[in-house]
Amino acid sequence: MNDFVYKWRNPIFGSVSVVLFFLGWEALLTWAIPLNPFIMSKPSLIFEGLWLEMQSGQLWSDLLISGQPFIFGFGAAIVVGIFVGTMMGWRARVGYALDPLLTALYASPLVAIAPLVIIFFGVGVSGKAILIFVLCVFPFVFNTYAGVKSVDRLLVNVVRSLGGNERDIYLKVIVPSVLPFIIAGARYAIGRALVGILVGEFFAATAGIGYRIAWFSDMFELSRMFGYILVMMVVAVLFTEGIRWAERAAFPWRVGM
Amino acid sequence: MNDTTSTAVSPVPASAAPVRDEGLGEITRRTFWEANERHALGIGFIVFVLLLWEVIPHILTLSRGMDLFFTTPTQVAMTLYNMFASGEIWPAFKFSAVAFSVGLGLSIVAALPLGVIIGRSHTMNAMLDPFITAFNATPRLVFLPIILVWFGIGMWSVVVVVFIGAVFPLLINTYAGVRNADRLLINVVRSFGASEWQINKLVILPNSMPFIIAGLRLAIGRAILGIVVAEFFGGSSEGIGVMMNDAAGKFQVDIVFAGLVIFMALSLVMVGGVKVLEARLSRWRPENVKSF
Amino acid sequence: MVAYIEAKNVNLIFTPPNRMPVTALKDFNISVGEGEFVSIVGPSGCGKSTFLNVLLGLIPPHSGEMAINGKRVSGPGQDRAMVFQEFGLLPWRTVLNNVELGLELKGVATSERRPVSQKFIEMVGLAGFEGHYPHELSGGMKQRVGLARALATDPDVLLMDEPFAALDAQTRDIMQAELLRIWQEAKKTVLFVTHQIEEAVYLSDRVIVMTKRPGRAKKIIDIPLPRPRDYEMRVTQEFNDLKLQLWNELKDELTVHGNG
Repeated sequence: MNDFVYKWRNPIFGSVSVVLFFLGWEALLTWAIPLNPFIMSKPSLIFEGLWLEMQSGQLWSDLLISGQPFIFGFGAAIVVGIFVGTMMGWRARVGYALDPLLTALYASPLVAIAPLVIIFFGVGVSGKAILIFVLCVFPFVFNTYAGVKSVDRLLVNVVRSLGGNERDIYLKVIVPSVLPFIIAGARYAIGRALVGILVGEFFAATAGIGYRIAWFSDMFELSRMFGYILVMMVVAVLFTEGIRWAERAAFPWRVGM
Repeated sequence: MNDTTSTAVSPVPASAAPVRDEGLGEITRRTFWEANERHALGIGFIVFVLLLWEVIPHILTLSRGMDLFFTTPTQVAMTLYNMFASGEIWPAFKFSAVAFSVGLGLSIVAALPLGVIIGRSHTMNAMLDPFITAFNATPRLVFLPIILVWFGIGMWSVVVVVFIGAVFPLLINTYAGVRNADRLLINVVRSFGASEWQINKLVILPNSMPFIIAGLRLAIGRAILGIVVAEFFGGSSEGIGVMMNDAAGKFQVDIVFAGLVIFMALSLVMVGGVKVLEARLSRWRPENVKSF
Repeated sequence: MVAYIEAKNVNLIFTPPNRMPVTALKDFNISVGEGEFVSIVGPSGCGKSTFLNVLLGLIPPHSGEMAINGKRVSGPGQDRAMVFQEFGLLPWRTVLNNVELGLELKGVATSERRPVSQKFIEMVGLAGFEGHYPHELSGGMKQRVGLARALATDPDVLLMDEPFAALDAQTRDIMQAELLRIWQEAKKTVLFVTHQIEEAVYLSDRVIVMTKRPGRAKKIIDIPLPRPRDYEMRVTQEFNDLKLQLWNELKDELTVHGNG
């Protein structure tokens, strides 16, 4: 029993504190402070609202609508980002030429061009997908670039000296060296993609998670707004922790990249 | 197990360009082109892109409607110059700058002590970890509507958005830096009779510095992002973001780009400043880990 | 012989998180005379380094008595200083500031600690390197800084935890000779932990052999070699006999899967 507590100490403490947080929130607004539904909500109402949204199917359809541009934009970012990053790492001159420009763009708040993108491409899937692409492509470019550059020449020579051909070099050295960098890039990119969805839907949309959050807030339906925020948080945590878990499972030799 | 350490960006991030092997230059003599190829190509490409952008309207006939959305680098530069020359930019600039500084300042004040506390206490760490992981993974933009409800339209909403954007990278990196402190060094100073406070001062804090600075660089990016989105989505009625949003609505594309240039310059200047600070604080680090 | 360092029936049990408790030291006894150079050898994981940390005052024992010059040990104190295996230099401090660490924590004013630290920097042969940072030094030089730092607070007892284990063989030989010179100059009581038999014989007046975990003192061997000792002494018959004697005591404690 004692061993069990030791081993699971952190998850136990974590879950207990999350439960306490929600209970405390509920208790505070039930007995201590009178609830003003125009500025606050409490967990029981939030979960009730969320349940209704799930039953009516509204939540699922919003998730689906937000998911579409995400898939297109993120997919394009993966393909283009890996291609550009590989070119930069493979041909030094391409790297030299593109590095400063892309670094400057990466460092600048590209969300700022969101109004233009939305006006130009419209409020539908394409506008949001392009916004997501613009935000997500840089982590893939730079991480692939760093990954390709970090391939150990020694390992290439080792495989070659053991009689490996070009294909062996790619499959046994280059891909395993670069992949962890790309996955780490995906982790950064996910966060930026979610920003892209929200920005796109806050601006102008007629459905989707971001639209719904803004709309509920305008309607002072704070319980449902919190419910959707909670959904967004769960999605974000599932994505980032999922990637992190996959990283640890797939590349156990890389610790904490 | 969810350990926030792995969320932290280490002082030597994987995505950073690895150390460049330019050391050979002192031994083998290189031609001028070889020595400057890298910068020539980098700057050259930027110039090339700007030129291309500039001449597009001269070689292509833009369809009607399309030209509404088009601007050229010279137009953007002119607009930028006029904004500063006439002084019309200053109120917006001041508003954004104040919100940025206050938000970032508050996040530093909040994140450093909290980071040290959860870095040194296993219990606090275990209890706060789910919240930090969740809030760090979620785009803080999602809280904008409720922030507007709570803080109203104006400076404070923008400050709060900047704050919640900047505070997590700082908190997580401070925490990781504290965690990273070498047990041996703590034992060394303890063996000389150091108090808990002296351990913090002599070992924990200097050891965390590179992490905190890496966190600061991230935080600056997040803070600028916070300014932009907060001002876009009605967090305030003034500021550069508001100016850009209004301009986009009126198809004044040059003003949108002028705003983008200002934000770009702001982030490059700030990150440059952090690099200077870092160079000054990291004289004790070996060269190969210093440059990131 | 009057015991200067005295440890009686020291017991220590570790309870690492997520694991079973481990008995690190069991009824550990030791007695060292003033000005003596005593080494502790034993298999890895036998608790010899742990004992130094207990004596240093970093780890409280579960039971047992320890005293230095009749004064009970109950926490870190100015009468002891440790030289650590991995040097333990603060990387953000220069050589000078590292050497001054102990004096600084003692509350000695800057102007007073400068001549003291300078004296010990010169004693360990690092004059001219005062402004260097640890990463600019070789391993041997780092350990010289560690030695100077320990000596600077003028402790009565110098505890050395495998101080030369991280150095290459030649540097280690040089540092051993240097240590003997400095020991004679500074007149300290030294308790030296090592896993190297030759090092123990060369440096010590007496060698304590420890059992495998839980560690106890198994046998104490006198090293009656004359001092000052020079490098040539290592190839004498007498020296090798002592090495063999020590090895015979030690080998029973080395298990096949000897990572203890």
